Amino acid sequence: MTRVGRRFSELDGQVCEHTMGCSAMFAHDIYPQHKDPLDHPDYFHVHNLFTVKDLFDARVHYGHKEGSLNEHMKPYLYGSRLGHLIFDLDITAEHLRKALNFAAHIAYRGGVIIFFNRNAQNAHLVEKTALECGEYAHTRFWQGGIFTNSTRQFGAVTRLPDLCIFLNTQNNILNQHTAVRDSAKMLIPTIGIVDTNCSPNIITYPVPGNDDTPVAIELYCKLFKAAILRGKEERKKFLQETE
Amino acid sequence: MTDWETLNKGKKINKAMKAYLERAKEHDEFMEKQQFEYKIGKRHLANMMGEDPETFTQKDVDRAIEYLFPSGIYDPAARPLMKPPEEVFPTRKAAEFDEAGRPFHFLFYTGSPNFYKLLYDIVENMQDLYRFDDKVRRKKAVPDPNASLNLDATLWVTKDHLEKLLVEKVSDLKYNNFIGAMDRLVALPYSYRHKEFIEKYRKSLSSQRFALEIPKPNYDENGRAYVTTYECLRKSARGVVTIRSPGTGKIIINGKDLTYFADIQPREQVLFPLIFTGMQNSVDVEATIEGGGYTGQSGAIRWGIAWGLRSFVDKDMLDKMHVAGLLTRDYRRRERKKPGQPGARKKSTWKKR
Repeated sequence: MTRVGRRFSELDGQVCEHTMGCSAMFAHDIYPQHKDPLDHPDYFHVHNLFTVKDLFDARVHYGHKEGSLNEHMKPYLYGSRLGHLIFDLDITAEHLRKALNFAAHIAYRGGVIIFFNRNAQNAHLVEKTALECGEYAHTRFWQGGIFTNSTRQFGAVTRLPDLCIFLNTQNNILNQHTAVRDSAKMLIPTIGIVDTNCSPNIITYPVPGNDDTPVAIELYCKLFKAAILRGKEERKKFLQETE
Repeated sequence: MTDWETLNKGKKINKAMKAYLERAKEHDEFMEKQQFEYKIGKRHLANMMGEDPETFTQKDVDRAIEYLFPSGIYDPAARPLMKPPEEVFPTRKAAEFDEAGRPFHFLFYTGSPNFYKLLYDIVENMQDLYRFDDKVRRKKAVPDPNASLNLDATLWVTKDHLEKLLVEKVSDLKYNNFIGAMDRLVALPYSYRHKEFIEKYRKSLSSQRFALEIPKPNYDENGRAYVTTYECLRKSARGVVTIRSPGTGKIIINGKDLTYFADIQPREQVLFPLIFTGMQNSVDVEATIEGGGYTGQSGAIRWGIAWGLRSFVDKDMLDKMHVAGLLTRDYRRRERKKPGQPGARKKSTWKKR
């Protein structure tokens, strides 16, 4: 088993404890010389949004049964228990933080972010999240060509999303969501929660984790919403300062 | 720094918006040209008809076109016409996104945002009701027995109506999903809390629509109330039916009594609305009818009587009459004979050899 996630998880054990509840204390406030947000490793402080314990409580570590394993998901696994695969949450946390950081940066730059989810049980929650953070959602049947033939689909030149967040990457239990492929075709970066039976291959920021349980989806929604709102807040601040 | 370009100013106009503005400009120019051509054409038409071009109205244009280009084409839409360009060309769609190209609607990328927003709202309301139900149970309260949703007199809006409400195309599948979701919302015990939302998508049964149109009876010199129904049509018969109340059940058709019709069937037809409303002995009927055969004539009188009786019956009876189909015009006409066969549908006997 690989142990790539150690560095981050050890770090956040300290960070989280003393930064929880005081999210206003951003690193760029302390070090004003960091002018460009991209120079900063964690400009929006998405590290303090969650702990590995939160992931565990939200049952993010539960994968599918052994037989349905996608070979490409092997590096993210901790092991198997009673025939069910278990994710290594340290690795998950690392990937999730990268993804949150990216989402916050996109929001900071005024990008269009769209949430995907084809699970009917969680669809409303996802749409609500999108509405609350002023972004977009698509939890319905995917009409082919929305990205690849957008001018025809919408009857006019249309701005495509700048980031796709997939809260599950599959259409049903067997097929991958066509939007994953289409966003890769259109060079739209993607964040995807990938379960043990999904392929992380053409997703820009794959986050290994449970993509079925409502509690887990709730946690992801909460985190992405918080990250996006932080990005937007910073953007507002920046625009006010420069005007 | 290139990274800052996206952040700076916010004055930059997105490609989508630029394209939209270009299209808008193009459309405006096109419409201006069409307007100009229409005006010129109207003047030419007025001169051709020998009338004053200044006071030539759209009505005159239609008349002139009908005169100059007589057309026997069955479908009126296919006949030659000259209408103002705003009526002929579709109106331009308003921009659905702002200057940065960000769509206004959060479900824009689904392709039918208004419909899916409606489904979203339905679920939102359902979840609200679940929460309320939980609260009631936790307090061990009993639900209010008087508050309930009465949907007997209404139906869900039709697909066409829904399309008009949403300004979007709604497929059969989507419409069924909508009905299913709405039924689930209505089935919840506290659905009356979202009465306003539900009733937006209910249409009352058509009985209500007569409420305003029912004419008040007039009074003749003897003080009897009467209602005259003109244009009672069925097949090629047309007639005028007058109902007088109070009366004794006298029926006069073209100066004769009910024996105007030799057969039982048309007599029954004429009497049916009177018997149905139980007024066969309390009103008098006068009818003049022409054209058609006895079926058409009796049908026309039947409809005329029923239509006139609206002024003399109460609301319950009106509903019953509507359900019985008495107030429905029968628009069926004779179907034309087709060439190559002896009748409208009848075929000549076919023999292999």
